Amino acid sequence: MNAIIFSAIWGVLMMFTGAFVQSKTLPKYLAITGAALLFLLNGIELYNGTPIFNINGMNMLAITSMNLTFLEVIFAATLLFFMLSGRDVERVGEHVSEYFALIFFVLCGVSLSSTYNTLLLLFLGIEIMSIPLYVLTGADKRNLKSNEASLKYFLMGAFSTGILLMGIAFIYGGNTNASFYIDQIHLGVGKMPVMITVGVVLLIIALSFKVSAAPFHFWTPDVYDGAPTVFTSFMSTIVKAAGFFAFIRLFKTSFGPVQGQWQNLIVFITVATMLIGNVTAVFQQSVKRMLAYSSIAQAGFMLLALFALNQTADDGIILYSAAYSLATIGIFAILIKMNDYTIEGFNGLAKQQPLLGLVATICLLSLTGIPLTAGFTSKFFMLTAAVENGHKFWVVIVAVIFAAISAYYYFRVIQAIYFKEPSSAEPVIDAERVSGSFKILLAITAILILILGIYPEILIGWAHH
Amino acid sequence: MDFFFLQVQAQNSAENYFPIVIQILFAIGLLTLMIFGSDLLGPKRKTADKLQNFESGIEIKGNARQPIAIKYFLVAILFVLFDVEVIFFYPYAINFRALKWEGFLAVVLFVSSFLAGFIYIFKKGALKWEE
Amino acid sequence: MNNVLHIVWLIPILPLIGFLINGLFRNSLSKSVAGFVGSAVILASFALSIFAFLQVKSGNTHLAHYFNLINIDALRIGFDFKIDQLSSLFLLIITGVGFLIHVYSTSYMHEEPSKDFAKYFAYLNLFVFSMLLLVMGGNYIIMFIGWEGVGLCSYLLIGFWFKNNDYTNAAKKAFIMNRIGDLGFLLAVFWLISKIGTVSYDEVFSATSLAKLSTTDITGITLLFFVGATGKSAQIPLYTWLPDAMAGPTPVSALIHAATMVTAGIYMIARSSILYSMAPVTQCVVAIVGLSTAILAATIALKQNDIKKVLAYSTVSQLGYMFLGLGVGAYTGAVFHVMTHAFFKALLFLGAGSVIHAMGGEQDMRNMGGLKKHMRITHLTFLLGCIAIAGIPPFSGFFSKDEILAAAFEASPVFWVIGVAGAMMTAFYMFRLYGMTFLGKFRGTHEQEHHLHESPAAITFPLIVLAILAVFGGFVGIPEVFVHGGHKLAEFLAPVFAQTNAYVSSHHAHEALSHNTEYILMGTSVLLALVALSYAINKFSKYQKTETASTGLAKVLENKWYVDELYDAVIVKPLRSLSAFFNNVIEKKGIDGLVNGVGKAVNYGGRQLRWIQSGQVGAYVLLMVIGMLVLFIIQFFVKNI
Repeated sequence: MNAIIFSAIWGVLMMFTGAFVQSKTLPKYLAITGAALLFLLNGIELYNGTPIFNINGMNMLAITSMNLTFLEVIFAATLLFFMLSGRDVERVGEHVSEYFALIFFVLCGVSLSSTYNTLLLLFLGIEIMSIPLYVLTGADKRNLKSNEASLKYFLMGAFSTGILLMGIAFIYGGNTNASFYIDQIHLGVGKMPVMITVGVVLLIIALSFKVSAAPFHFWTPDVYDGAPTVFTSFMSTIVKAAGFFAFIRLFKTSFGPVQGQWQNLIVFITVATMLIGNVTAVFQQSVKRMLAYSSIAQAGFMLLALFALNQTADDGIILYSAAYSLATIGIFAILIKMNDYTIEGFNGLAKQQPLLGLVATICLLSLTGIPLTAGFTSKFFMLTAAVENGHKFWVVIVAVIFAAISAYYYFRVIQAIYFKEPSSAEPVIDAERVSGSFKILLAITAILILILGIYPEILIGWAHH
Repeated sequence: MDFFFLQVQAQNSAENYFPIVIQILFAIGLLTLMIFGSDLLGPKRKTADKLQNFESGIEIKGNARQPIAIKYFLVAILFVLFDVEVIFFYPYAINFRALKWEGFLAVVLFVSSFLAGFIYIFKKGALKWEE
Repeated sequence: MNNVLHIVWLIPILPLIGFLINGLFRNSLSKSVAGFVGSAVILASFALSIFAFLQVKSGNTHLAHYFNLINIDALRIGFDFKIDQLSSLFLLIITGVGFLIHVYSTSYMHEEPSKDFAKYFAYLNLFVFSMLLLVMGGNYIIMFIGWEGVGLCSYLLIGFWFKNNDYTNAAKKAFIMNRIGDLGFLLAVFWLISKIGTVSYDEVFSATSLAKLSTTDITGITLLFFVGATGKSAQIPLYTWLPDAMAGPTPVSALIHAATMVTAGIYMIARSSILYSMAPVTQCVVAIVGLSTAILAATIALKQNDIKKVLAYSTVSQLGYMFLGLGVGAYTGAVFHVMTHAFFKALLFLGAGSVIHAMGGEQDMRNMGGLKKHMRITHLTFLLGCIAIAGIPPFSGFFSKDEILAAAFEASPVFWVIGVAGAMMTAFYMFRLYGMTFLGKFRGTHEQEHHLHESPAAITFPLIVLAILAVFGGFVGIPEVFVHGGHKLAEFLAPVFAQTNAYVSSHHAHEALSHNTEYILMGTSVLLALVALSYAINKFSKYQKTETASTGLAKVLENKWYVDELYDAVIVKPLRSLSAFFNNVIEKKGIDGLVNGVGKAVNYGGRQLRWIQSGQVGAYVLLMVIGMLVLFIIQFFVKNI
């Protein structure tokens, strides 16, 4: 509750800062303050159990420690993102304050879609989350690719929104309670009525689009590639994790007991996503585009939580969100500073910037899922959850094989960082773009990845608090 | 003998939507019939004049697809935005008494957020026509 | 020092600190500082161990739980220390003998460059730390951590002069043989966990846990533990690494390969005595393996000419006696022999080191002789050590060996006969060594003769202390036949073996040997040892170098029964060809082919899938619609993917 209200207010505040204050650096600090306050206020709510403003939400919001823990992870990631890449947001264009304002509106949408208890709020949350993203994608107004990406994203997003609404309508019309409340769409364990089935399929399609799962992922590479890199970093981590969380919560609460009747779809989507994400990523030359495909591949792994749908999966999705966001924000923060986004651009990074090389390596190792990093524990949780589910064990085997394939394209970058000589005489990173505080924050990111890799309990403990 | 539309109310299942399907089919059928029917039945005489754009009898001057100032769209979209929000006042007007002060407060909040938006666009210069 | 038991963690921590200081600052520390730090931490540990020992002696045992090492499901493995009679005794041996050897090393290793000198002390400290962990651990996992730690240090120290290829090979051999044993240890631990879900000594040995184990379980577990012990304590079939381990510096041989690490197996079995008593089959195996090792190693030692090799085989042989003791249920005797053996074997090794030092690195006894005149202290202390190991009363070796042999006689007179034969050989080869080294005329070069000198105080001081212990150390365990209540050690250790003894006496009718029998047994063994001893002195005090190659049995013995060659032919060569097969056929053709095939397929797929990403929104939407159709088809027409 704190998060929803406060993020909206702070968004408006940032907006007005843009209108009334000329300073170019102020918005960044204001945004960092806002993210820190969000983290704090949400933390207080998680800790105390009561929000500061209590509005009678007619039970339309589900404020549970699990949801709040997830939001806490999101806000922590946002804070880290602001601190690491705030300066790069300033470089995107003139309307710095508005960019941050839009990010806060996205956060408002994230807060809604993480705590919704009715289909209406789910829709609202997802829309509030998506619309500012269309704008952010096109933030680099003079760049044709950015404009194209924005328009593509908008068109296809609108398409999926239609499907989402249609699905909601079918569910509403089909359930005997005529209820929007996701915990009241009683289905029992019998066979789903045709209308509900259609609704479920449509919801799966729409939400798969939002989390860029195959075969509804087509927008992802183009949009992630075209959008300004800072916003790609934000979109592919925080927003995507939120989409997953909403997805899983809906299907667990409303359709959990009849999972057997729609598990086939999830299996198809999961395997297709892993296949397309991993196999296509292998062939990319641009690290940015490779990361776009890798985000699809990682989505495939997160879909295992939806496949498993048990307690371990709940813990796993929180952990995965944290691990994936940390690593991706870290690697993107470095990528933004690079002069050349291709893999060759990373040649010899470790020699010129040893710390950056090391952190990039840790992030990539975490994305691959090498032990001692957060990526490993989170993948381990996901696989455990999938095994505990007890059905279709072959999906787990396929997941492991694809995780192995993913090592190929991640390690190619590591290889470039450590074992190759720079391709030109120019530095791979202009030294003045790497400040001391940036290095410290990167080091903190790497340490957090390692801590979560060794002792994931600290995060999961909160969710059961 | 009851109308079966009334029976539909009793339970909510797929087959109850059958009449709607029939209606849709009927509508589509009628449309097709009318479009293709008039096309088939009507007389056709194609001349150069007939195929030209009709501009109230005035002679054509250049292409209709001329670039228009972005400000026009901006103002238009802002107008639509604020205009659409007015719709929310209708239900409020009807329930004005029933919602009491609580409802009033909510509407004040709603309107003030509009105001904020208005101040923002004003300050940003979105409504400035000349520059 | 009332609460010294509450700070027992300091005992292992101190050597660890020494390790860190010497290890991290090895480039900047001077030799004297490195030697001082290395020795001082052990001395401090020794002092604490004495206090801990006194506490235990007055009846306070201690079980310290620090934190949970592993905490999964119902399995709780804590970082626990258990200080009782058995571990406190070992603490004294490890830190006491360890300290003396550290002092000795400061002089012995003085010619090393200061960087290597500090590295040496770092390793030595790390070894002591691991060894302390091994004996202090309150469960099998902590023991295993120490067990692995000492294995690593042994490897590092054997290969200390790693530039010599043979030495590194010796180190690798030791490490690999130990690993084979460790696998047995690990399997035993897993077996325990799977059956009773705990590895803590107190819980494993509790009546409820033992009741959960079937006879097969106990036999299997104890046999696997014994496999671990054969690796670490150099028993058949894994003993061949120990003689090769003499490649390390002599103090290392004294500390690790004589006094402490190799007794880890004995400690472990003594710790698990109740399990072994419940598994008669295993006990029989232990006794037979121990006895065979004892006799086999003794025969090999008869014909060795390298002074350290003789001592190495003697160590293997003595360890065999200890296992014989464990196998026949004489746990106290085995522990007693560990203690006395630590004294006299450390003494002998250090004495040998002193000799080698004086001879300028010469280890071949054929080139020695007549050192008596030049090295008085070394000679005297070495002689005392030889007498002690030969089992001549009232020196320490007599008491402990006699206790084991008496127990062996109880189990089977055959054991006793073979055991006494081995003891005879011990007396023979030790005095052959003594005679060839110290008596007769000097057979080395002139240069060496000129160089001969008594070693400095840092070397002779440990020799004197150990000699005193070797002479008088046996008096803590005077058998009942001489003095009633004279066996103080048995009294002290009684609580540790109380459960075992209770179990044994309830299951087997136990008849104590009559005093007369015991006198006869003792007399016979002492007499035979004396005969062997005098024969050896007679023969080898006038030893002259001969060039004739030995034949027959002597040749077989000189070549150590060809065991190394046998292992090479039976295990190493087939393994080599098998791995060559795996490498050339399965790896290159099969696995590489498969992996490369997957890579190629992925590459090809990637190239094809890329075309889908055309960049056209229309195409994307079309594909999405097709995707939707597929999903609907799956949902409504496909039963199960």
